[in-house]
Amino acid sequence: MPQEFKLPDVGEGVAEGELVEWLVEPGDTVEEDQAVAKVETDKALVDVPSPYNGTVKELLAEEGEMVPVGNVIMVYNVEGEDDLDDTSSSADAAADAGTESADADAGADDAAASADAGEPEEVETPEGRVFAPPSARKLARELGVDISQVDGTGPSGRVTDADVQAHADAGAEDDAGAEESAEPATADADAGEASSGGSAASAQTASAQTASAQRTQQAPSPQGVEAAGREKTLAAPATRKLADEKGVDIDDVPTDETRDGEAFVTPEAVTEYAEAMQEAQAADAGAMAAGETMGADGQRETREPYKGVRKTIGDAMANSKYTAPHVTHHDEVDVTELVETRKRLKGEAEERGIRLTYMPFVMKAVVAALKEYPQVNVSLDEDNEEVVTKHYYNIGVATATEAGLMVPVVDAADRKGLLQLSSEMNEKVQKARDRTISIDEMRGGTFTITNIGGIGGEYATPIINHPESAILALGEIKKKPRVMTDENGEDAIEIRHVLTLSLSFDHRIIDGADGARFTNEVKKYLENPELLLLE
Amino acid sequence: MVVGDVTTGTDLLVIGAGPGGYVAAIRAGQLGLDVTLVEKDEYGGACLNRGCIPSKALITATGLKHDAANAEEMGIHANPAVDMTQMMSWKDGVVDQLTGGVEKLCKANGVNLIEGTAEFDGENSVRIVHGGEGQGSESLDFEHCIVATGSRPIQIPGFEFDGEHVLSSEHALSLESVPDELVVVGAGYIGMELASVYAKLGTDVTVVEMLDDVLPPYEDDVSRVVKKHAKDLGVEFHFGYSASDWAETDDGIVVTASPAAADGGQAAEAEGEIEELELQADKVLVAVGRQPVTDTLNLEAAGLEPNEQGFLETDDRCRTDVEHIMAVGDVAGEPMLAHKGSKEGQIAAEVVAGEPSAVDYQAMPAAVFTEPEIGTVGLTEAEAEEQGFEPAVGKFPFQASGRALTTGETDGFVRIVADEPSGFVLGAQIVGPEASELVAELGLAIEMGATLEDVASTVHTHPTLAEAVMEAAENALGHAIHTLNR
Repeated sequence: MPQEFKLPDVGEGVAEGELVEWLVEPGDTVEEDQAVAKVETDKALVDVPSPYNGTVKELLAEEGEMVPVGNVIMVYNVEGEDDLDDTSSSADAAADAGTESADADAGADDAAASADAGEPEEVETPEGRVFAPPSARKLARELGVDISQVDGTGPSGRVTDADVQAHADAGAEDDAGAEESAEPATADADAGEASSGGSAASAQTASAQTASAQRTQQAPSPQGVEAAGREKTLAAPATRKLADEKGVDIDDVPTDETRDGEAFVTPEAVTEYAEAMQEAQAADAGAMAAGETMGADGQRETREPYKGVRKTIGDAMANSKYTAPHVTHHDEVDVTELVETRKRLKGEAEERGIRLTYMPFVMKAVVAALKEYPQVNVSLDEDNEEVVTKHYYNIGVATATEAGLMVPVVDAADRKGLLQLSSEMNEKVQKARDRTISIDEMRGGTFTITNIGGIGGEYATPIINHPESAILALGEIKKKPRVMTDENGEDAIEIRHVLTLSLSFDHRIIDGADGARFTNEVKKYLENPELLLLE
Repeated sequence: MVVGDVTTGTDLLVIGAGPGGYVAAIRAGQLGLDVTLVEKDEYGGACLNRGCIPSKALITATGLKHDAANAEEMGIHANPAVDMTQMMSWKDGVVDQLTGGVEKLCKANGVNLIEGTAEFDGENSVRIVHGGEGQGSESLDFEHCIVATGSRPIQIPGFEFDGEHVLSSEHALSLESVPDELVVVGAGYIGMELASVYAKLGTDVTVVEMLDDVLPPYEDDVSRVVKKHAKDLGVEFHFGYSASDWAETDDGIVVTASPAAADGGQAAEAEGEIEELELQADKVLVAVGRQPVTDTLNLEAAGLEPNEQGFLETDDRCRTDVEHIMAVGDVAGEPMLAHKGSKEGQIAAEVVAGEPSAVDYQAMPAAVFTEPEIGTVGLTEAEAEEQGFEPAVGKFPFQASGRALTTGETDGFVRIVADEPSGFVLGAQIVGPEASELVAELGLAIEMGATLEDVASTVHTHPTLAEAVMEAAENALGHAIHTLNR
């Protein structure tokens, strides 16, 4: 019986690929795993392996055509099919759920309302006996689980509904992990008095804490051989295999060749690099003998995968930095009165069970300043080419957590008192650290505050929490000598509490003058905290 | 009545209102699809009109007559007279009740019914030719189609069915009088069932079979029980012969049977019969199998082609090579069983409605309503071994069943096949009283992934035949109470 071959997901979750070249033609006999086509996705150029032994009956895609994953690209006459008994139908040897994807024709099923793209992939019925009741088998299909892959916990390994559910959940967790990590907004640095912060530094700290299963570099780059260290490399599977065999990371192989703007590595380049490395390693061995210092575990470098939350933060940072031209305005503000005010109120707040930090004062000051300068409470709708001015004030507070940076958002900060802001912020920051915070509680910010001062330091160049347009970093409050002028016009040097401010803003839509004026307004409130009473 | 050519449309077209088609149509109606069912003559298909149902009616009636006449041992002396016309009219009443029910159920579930023969004139349309003259035809566009055209009896060369001398199974179920002598060609389940029916009515039945035994797909120890009973009823067998010709004589017909080409006449030779046979009879029943009906469909227009055996091949969602056209039941391949068609019909309708259904049954039960009955499900011991299991087999003879003794039917046994290491039940073969009913429990056991322990530990009512199932499971575990454990 002819067997359809649908374009499998050739990358990680790619939706379509360009069929660059057919490697077979109708009538050809192909073996399982033999490459039948070259497909280029937005990630790489890959060979598509045949899932079957058989004869090519028909090719259904043109070279150069963009083919959605799941579309039938070729039809086989599969070997050995005639031996199958009719009742077992087409659950043939190629029952590889991985190559079967959602029914591409589902859209045509007008009557089949529920068969939409959000459905789990169609799972082929496994061949041979399955020791699971019909209800569990149906549940498996509903959840897109290949029941033959489920470990049964029933008598003699019988598969129960719960086993199927557990299998599906385990798969979903992997997915959710990826999704979740894509969600948290990423500003730089951290907030809250007790916590640390400081742009990229804090993020690195956070991620270093979670650094899981550090992978020791398999192929350290010896001195004298430059590792290219790319993120992406295009190469034929055979080349990748060669690199594996030679023990080199394909991303480290230097090359001048490119394909569509991506580095392209040839087998020759791999061999050349591998040989150069060997020579250099021999030289390194000499150097080691000469007493060169090494890492604690004897390695010159250690490597860990750039992925998950770390990568999400990184991508968001890069996106913001490359999208919005940043300008950072620096200033310092005398907060001696604020320090005293907080000191007075702290005990009062504590009696109500609230730990009062400086952050709520800063939030209040920021909100007051945003009201004065609405041109800062904006975002740029690039698709529609419109500047959106927000008439609400949702303030994000960048927080270092073990999983990385998160930005809990306090909604409608303009309508909340100091204590309420304080308790709400404390609660959300704690939830972020406990990872119990919901995605919704980290969405919808209009302006972000980050407190690097907890760790120390004065000025920073924070990265905007895109698509917001401005972020304010707070330095450490330090005692500094300041020139004070008394009512008689006499200058004197006094010891004052001074806070440093760094405001980064999107220069596309906020002019430098507005940034400076906005900062001045913030300063005004922080210098004279009683003005906050008027807010 | 539609005259001329009118085109209408439907979400789902079902062709054929047999157990595959009508079930598909009703299920589709329940799922809210706009469904049209085309049937050329009789709702219920072969099963209700010309197969399972009428044959079971006659098997019961003739069995009753036979049992009453053979109960001297129980102290009953009777010589029942048979009114053939009344028996047939009772049988027809049963059929009518069921087929009428099918039509009503279809309507109640919103199924549009059209009478006619459908043939494809494209991938998404059919022409429906209405029966009779001058009643025209109509075109119908569809989004999805389920082909459920079923099967028909195979004719052999020289034996065209005429309903008078050469009978198909359908004819044999509607005879107005009891023939004195009947030749049955084919010892498969249809031939054997009908041979029993007429033998019990007093006909001299001679069975001609090309192969060397009755009921070829079944294991020897199973078919042997049925053959012994048939012989006891006076049925004569000629194995290794195939019917080659027939001719009318003054008082009936004569059927010529030649040594079968399939085995070069070895079976016949072994019995010392190498000559052609001349069998005198009133009628000859040809029951050599059934073939799928695809020739009325103009499949080519839909881009479909039957395989070498004439079936439409389907995947685990009942889809043919043309994905929106599905096939279910006999036309979609062996085994040709009504319940297999119904199951597929249900699955096909659910797949069309976007439900996560698939053909995933672990075993397909089958029954033969001979004397005694056969009921099987799942794997035989040999099949289990072939598939890499280590079979543990348990058996319980009805001879040891109290209930079987009280019915007077003690021939046969229950055999259960399981996987030794895991204990999972893999299959069962039952021959004996009510075997067709008893096999249901084992079907459930197999689908549920039950173990021998599960079946053996389930309390079974005493005194029933079903205890034999439990005892067979216990026997496989080596601790049966009422038999010696092997």
